[in-house]
Amino acid sequence: MVAEHTAMGDAGRVADDLARASLALARRFSAGATMWCASPDWPFHAHHVAVEFVHPVIVGKRALPAVTVPPAADMVATLRASVNPGDIVLVLADADDPRVLDTMRRGPAWGVETVWIGAGSHRPAPGAADHVIWVDTDVPLEASELFVRIYHLLWELTHVCFEHPGLLKPEPECTDEVCITCSDEGRPAEVVTVDGDEAVVRTPDGHERIDVSLIDAPAPGDLVLIHAGFAITSS
Amino acid sequence: MPETTDFLYPFIEGDETDSEELLEDLARSAQGKWRQSWKLRQVTLSQHEAQLQATAAAMAERFAAGGRLFTFGNGGSATDAEAVAHLYTQPPAGPADLPAPGAARALPARSLAEDQAVMTALGNDVGFELVFSRQLIAHGRGHDIAMGFSTSGNSDNLMRAFAEARKQGMLTVGIAGTDGGRMAAEGSPVEQCFVVRSDSVHRIQESQAALNSALWAAVQAALAGTR
Repeated sequence: MVAEHTAMGDAGRVADDLARASLALARRFSAGATMWCASPDWPFHAHHVAVEFVHPVIVGKRALPAVTVPPAADMVATLRASVNPGDIVLVLADADDPRVLDTMRRGPAWGVETVWIGAGSHRPAPGAADHVIWVDTDVPLEASELFVRIYHLLWELTHVCFEHPGLLKPEPECTDEVCITCSDEGRPAEVVTVDGDEAVVRTPDGHERIDVSLIDAPAPGDLVLIHAGFAITSS
Repeated sequence: MPETTDFLYPFIEGDETDSEELLEDLARSAQGKWRQSWKLRQVTLSQHEAQLQATAAAMAERFAAGGRLFTFGNGGSATDAEAVAHLYTQPPAGPADLPAPGAARALPARSLAEDQAVMTALGNDVGFELVFSRQLIAHGRGHDIAMGFSTSGNSDNLMRAFAEARKQGMLTVGIAGTDGGRMAAEGSPVEQCFVVRSDSVHRIQESQAALNSALWAAVQAALAGTR
């Protein structure tokens, strides 16, 4: 049974996080995103999220492209093969699930928006996903009930955002010649193939050939930060 | 219960730029719905308290006699069927979930909506209204339990499955919404029908999730009492 203090105590914080995640989802969907839903331990939750978005319960609402990652599949391999830059990856899982941690840290290299829904006193580290929507309970049955409420509200709020087309336009792109955000920092990338001191890496902008002589020899699947054509650190 | 998004009128011009105002409205709307969902849950559980105990006792008897639980539903309700089967077969370890000291018993349960080979074979060959009833013809025994989930209470393939289950002598349990529809109507093959009284599919499913947990806990308590 869900204790009242648990159910209502989370409401304020969860509501704020849901609002931000919903606007982000609406923006991504408006720009053509597909949402990939995964829950390795509770596949029924991932199925439920996907069916909500694909086949809305309210007649007349837009059908949106959402897909469940099969629970038996290798999550990272499936998503690596499937996602396009601009897509959304939504996961329901505990904070220490290694499959999910390995997926989420690749989000910036793949160029996807990540949403992590979960429960428990142990939360994902700050920055582990673009959006973390968390309830504090450590009781599995309470958590499961609250998850249903959370993804229903995520769907409802996302559709409210579609009524505000002016707020769904992409953020203005940076066009300056030298810009702190784009050029002076490392960009995350995932190694695809390695050839001596060179490697082909995947970034949100596509595949790039880079020099990896400054770091220990990377392997396919490794994440690196690149700057001016060089890998500067591996992570 | 009416939807509460009405206050958010669509903007005709596409040049709205202040997202902070929208975010505040969204958060307020989410809190209101969360509260509404919680109230409906409390009302639903208290309305069905006696029925939960009676149903759990009947289910415990079936399980004790070697019966199995078959769950079914369409769409989001299919995922609820899957979640309930998961709960019965792989009960959570958290001690706070248990109604009585001691570990919860793993019980045989299966969702009839999960096997895509069977679902598509039956849907293609004999029709979607028979996808669950045909599986009960193949698997069902008199002491089993059939549990179907529907927010309207009107799904044809559920009604066919309940009729087949009753014919075999199975215990039939319905988790419905709105006004209960055909599942709660006079002469329905559903013996124990739980109805979440709401017009919102989402709020109904949220309270159904609470009913499912409460029923499972009561079954565990009933089984613990018979050990």
